Amino acid sequence: MTRTVLCFGDSNTHGQIPGRGPLERYRREQRWAGVLEGQLGPGWQVIEEGLSGRTTVHDDPIEGALKNGRTYLRPCLQSHAPLDLIIIMLGTNDLKRRFNMPPSEVAMGIGCLVHDIRELSPGPAGHDPEIMIVAPPPMLDDLREWESIFSGAQEKSRRLALEFEIMADSLEAHFFDAGTVCRCSPADGFHIDEQAHRQLGEALAQEVLAIGWPDA
Amino acid sequence: MPDMRFAPPNPLRIADRASGLNSLSVRSHNERLVLSLLLQNEATTRLEIGEKTGLSAQTISVIVRSLEQEGLVVRGAAQKGRVGPPTTPLMLNSEGAYSVGVSVGYRNTHIVVVDFIGNVQHHRVMPHRAADTFDAPEALALEIHQAIAGLSESRQARIAGVGLALPTPPIRSGPDHDVLHRHLEAELGLPVFVQNDITAAAGGESLFGTARQLQDFLFFYLGARLHGRLVLNHQIYNGNSPLSYDVGVLALERALPSGSTLAEKLWGEVPSWPPMGPALAAWQQACAESLIQLTQSLLQFIELKTVVLSSFVPTEICEALCSLIRQEIPSVSAVVGRTSAAPKAVGAASLPFSSRFMVH
Repeated sequence: MTRTVLCFGDSNTHGQIPGRGPLERYRREQRWAGVLEGQLGPGWQVIEEGLSGRTTVHDDPIEGALKNGRTYLRPCLQSHAPLDLIIIMLGTNDLKRRFNMPPSEVAMGIGCLVHDIRELSPGPAGHDPEIMIVAPPPMLDDLREWESIFSGAQEKSRRLALEFEIMADSLEAHFFDAGTVCRCSPADGFHIDEQAHRQLGEALAQEVLAIGWPDA
Repeated sequence: MPDMRFAPPNPLRIADRASGLNSLSVRSHNERLVLSLLLQNEATTRLEIGEKTGLSAQTISVIVRSLEQEGLVVRGAAQKGRVGPPTTPLMLNSEGAYSVGVSVGYRNTHIVVVDFIGNVQHHRVMPHRAADTFDAPEALALEIHQAIAGLSESRQARIAGVGLALPTPPIRSGPDHDVLHRHLEAELGLPVFVQNDITAAAGGESLFGTARQLQDFLFFYLGARLHGRLVLNHQIYNGNSPLSYDVGVLALERALPSGSTLAEKLWGEVPSWPPMGPALAAWQQACAESLIQLTQSLLQFIELKTVVLSSFVPTEICEALCSLIRQEIPSVSAVVGRTSAAPKAVGAASLPFSSRFMVH
């Protein structure tokens, strides 16, 4: 039996290299989803769905409606179903100045995605899949040239983990705080580097296995 | 109609960063289910919890996370299985909670403090001024205060309560059970839980001792007299039975030559008893006969595999009694309880844990 994991995220799931342009990306085996697949070993398939600039539920007035995680999630789930586990790591882009969102509202956006997943039930045999909410690591204070876009987001980013955990508790979903195992790179203050990808992928493998999978 | 999906989040257990134990009221039934399994097993996994409780993986994830944050549960190192991916065992954090146990006996009152897995951190004996009397509730409250003061401040915040093991029928010239209960609660500012002393000892053995993994067993307590309790599916039957048999330490004391200094040794905490001549052998035989008879009469009705003998008397005496039972009833494994020295007080200390953390 092969179990399928969908990793739904933003540039940090895409594997964008900190401080470089949007076209420069870590290789699959360097990215956290690739590390996760390597750690889980045979019997697991890990699908990456990481889009740079993706928000939880907002059309981006500048980058475009395509950055809205909510509208893309449904066709994405149906494309990849049946899915055993969906890992959502989003929220950083919701903290951009243009959205003016407090951390609690970002968590509400995550909650929307969880509801949408459960409405579609893209798990095995039409059941609900397992859902894991991952809070991104907090931003560093120095965001370099991104300061104007994210202005004020640094402080909010430190409160995402608690708001996400409250949402995960409330909706009964798995939760992991990436900030407990890795940090953002000083190269731009909000992307994670190769070492952080590895730390995150390894920690998530433990979390995924700890869920407890019958006759895996 | 409002869409309740988008109401503010209402967590089952809010991600709680406070130190110390959460209050009594917020522990849900599901959380107690999970804690019960952890209290009954040395280590378990989230998969096993799911299989045994029927709770979903995501519900368990939320509960386990909150128990981890509260410091009640810790994760062991991931273990590679023979087949499949490694599993992460969960276990109780021994420093996650503490409890005070008090047993008022025939000659002594015992005060113990135990950690979350039943290790005795503190043990004090208050001898009674005269046998079968207890008239010092103020001194007892003071002793408990001192026992608690022996813990670090952070551990004091993790005391689940005080368990009080009292005999049925009550001791002569002691305060009424309810009066003592209320007096201690007011003095200590902690929840106090009262139970029959023999039942408490059986409960202690079930939670911390030899019987931890056993669903069913026959429990004997050898004190001044011999008492029995039947435990089926972790439930203790007829918890207030006043019935007991006069083959205990009191019977042995009577059998010793009058004025003998040996009698004193019987009630103290000693590793072994001095030679006592034929009186000891005769008593041991009589006691074993009672144990065997009681066990056999029950075996007519229930298929029991284990008999647990708990006592403050030296382990070698208990071992000898157990081997006499095994000789006579080979189908039964007779074992000595683990909560020695003060089985009733350790049992009393299990009460706050079972009351606050387990399903009933």
